[in-house]
Amino acid sequence: MTPTPEELYAQREQRFNDIVALRNPDKIPFMPLMMHYFPNRIAGVSNAAVQADHFLRTKLMKEATLKFGFEWAAAVGVPPAKSCEALQMKQLRWPGGDLPDDAPFQWVEDEYIKADEVDQFLADPNGFAMRTILPRIAGIFQPLSFIQFPPTYWLANAYSTILLAPFLSAPGMKEMFEGMAAFCGDAQDFMAAEGGYFGEMAAVGYPRPFVGVGFPAFDLVSDYFRSLRGSTLDMFRQPDKLLAMIDVMLPASINLIIGACKATNTTRAFIPMHRGAGGFMSDEQFEKFYWPSFSALIYACIENGITPMPLFEGDYTPRLKYLATLPPGKVAAHFDKVDRKQFKEMCGDVMCFWGNVPPSLLCTGTPEQVKDDVKELIDVMGDRLIIDSTVGIPDESKPENILALKEAADEYGVL
Amino acid sequence: MSTELTDAILAMDEDGALKIVKDRLDAGEAPEAVLDDARSAMTTLGDKFACEEVFIPELIMGGEIMKGIAAELKPRITADDTAEKRGIIVLGTVHGDIHDIGKDVVVMMLEVSGYEVHDLGIDVPVESFVAAIREHGAQVVGLSGLLTLAFDSMKDTIEGIDAAGLRGQVKVMIGGSPVDEQVCHYAGADGWGRDAAAALALAADWTGGAA
Repeated sequence: MTPTPEELYAQREQRFNDIVALRNPDKIPFMPLMMHYFPNRIAGVSNAAVQADHFLRTKLMKEATLKFGFEWAAAVGVPPAKSCEALQMKQLRWPGGDLPDDAPFQWVEDEYIKADEVDQFLADPNGFAMRTILPRIAGIFQPLSFIQFPPTYWLANAYSTILLAPFLSAPGMKEMFEGMAAFCGDAQDFMAAEGGYFGEMAAVGYPRPFVGVGFPAFDLVSDYFRSLRGSTLDMFRQPDKLLAMIDVMLPASINLIIGACKATNTTRAFIPMHRGAGGFMSDEQFEKFYWPSFSALIYACIENGITPMPLFEGDYTPRLKYLATLPPGKVAAHFDKVDRKQFKEMCGDVMCFWGNVPPSLLCTGTPEQVKDDVKELIDVMGDRLIIDSTVGIPDESKPENILALKEAADEYGVL
Repeated sequence: MSTELTDAILAMDEDGALKIVKDRLDAGEAPEAVLDDARSAMTTLGDKFACEEVFIPELIMGGEIMKGIAAELKPRITADDTAEKRGIIVLGTVHGDIHDIGKDVVVMMLEVSGYEVHDLGIDVPVESFVAAIREHGAQVVGLSGLLTLAFDSMKDTIEGIDAAGLRGQVKVMIGGSPVDEQVCHYAGADGWGRDAAAALALAADWTGGAA
């Protein structure tokens, strides 16, 4: 008998949860963590078009999910172009902005907090972010760099609020609020499209992967504030200040995840990770600068009933000894590159294995190669496994290779 | 050769290394000799990176210390830098990709290891690689990329080098997080690597020297 959408939904949730909890699932599922531009590329639609039109993007996401047999509604990893334009975003470049229509969006890494500004940030993270970081990352916030607003509580009465006139009439302020209004309009469309997509998918039996997103505190500092070069030099020149920035960002990351999960009554959180991989630092540096705040984030999720879904980008083989100490059956660990056999040996009784099919195979290989790779994964991992590539579905994947992922999961994944 | 300076650099003692440099210059030592010691430390750092004894932070910090030492020494060195180069390398991030962190680490390590490196930057068109190979007489070309779109860009670039009749005179290496043997074969490169140590080993192999 064909299962109803409600039964399908429940089966898929159960399957994912069983695998994370290290119980035996009924089968190994194909659950891509996320997609960027694969759905539009195979439909002959430009990256710029879906970056600008949320409803078109989610329509194509739905088509791809159904066509390729994903077992949940893969999440979206594309920042909205109109919002970026409205904010005059400088920390991102996007197709239809100053990148070609078929380019992917890309991050602009820089020292958005300079080495000699760290003390100012630590003394007043909110004020520094408003006056200095926001104007650096988005053009419309330029007026905030020179307007000396009074503290908010000074304004908590009608007379003082009206006396904001000198501030609000300053050069650039009207343009800033107009930009914010345009941003709000696009944000409403974005939320409507997202809500519609996940709602429709749930109605036909496809769960939503996650709502909450949080970053390891080191990555927040390194990726967003100080850059790889800056945070690296901080390790040697001002290690205590680097640790102090990490201490500021850890509760922010935890609260973002818990807040999003509570507000949406969901229990999974995506944690993309960048700078803790092998090669990026020694064990000693990892133990000092990365692991304490990362493990605190993981434990905070678990204590709040949230399943953390860390995406271990880069080669995590050298870090398996740390991952092995995490609580068993609580973490949905998604891998980019890692030694499969070493993982099984060191972490196989601690966490499930998700991802790791190389993008090179999906973009340039054959369906037979893809199926062989999935079979090898299943041979090593058994049924504590979820099929996916390294960071979701690569944009340039050959459609027949994505179908091969699904076919391999169905063919070899019922143990 | 003094080991004091190399020891300070390898210990990431920035202030100590700069003080030693100043003291040696004040004592009348030739700046070229001091520079040789500093370069020797950077070569050792590269060797340690290849053996996974040090990692990217030490390479970046070592490069920063070296920059400070060079700034101190360069005004005092009157002769041109006539040290014989180990080989000529053209390197850049392929078109469509604007990532530079990995490329920059590779460039730095190749430079401190004695190669003449021409860094073409990011999002480099095929024709710029071709022009740079011609202009500099490169023996090795390095193509970097972080995105999966780089697979095709690397292929295009190598085909462009071939179409320009230059493929016979250069070896091409590719690198970046998603690059592997499969991509190497697809793009038609001569070799691939995941990090700066691999790039150094390939360059040494192709220019007839030790890594």
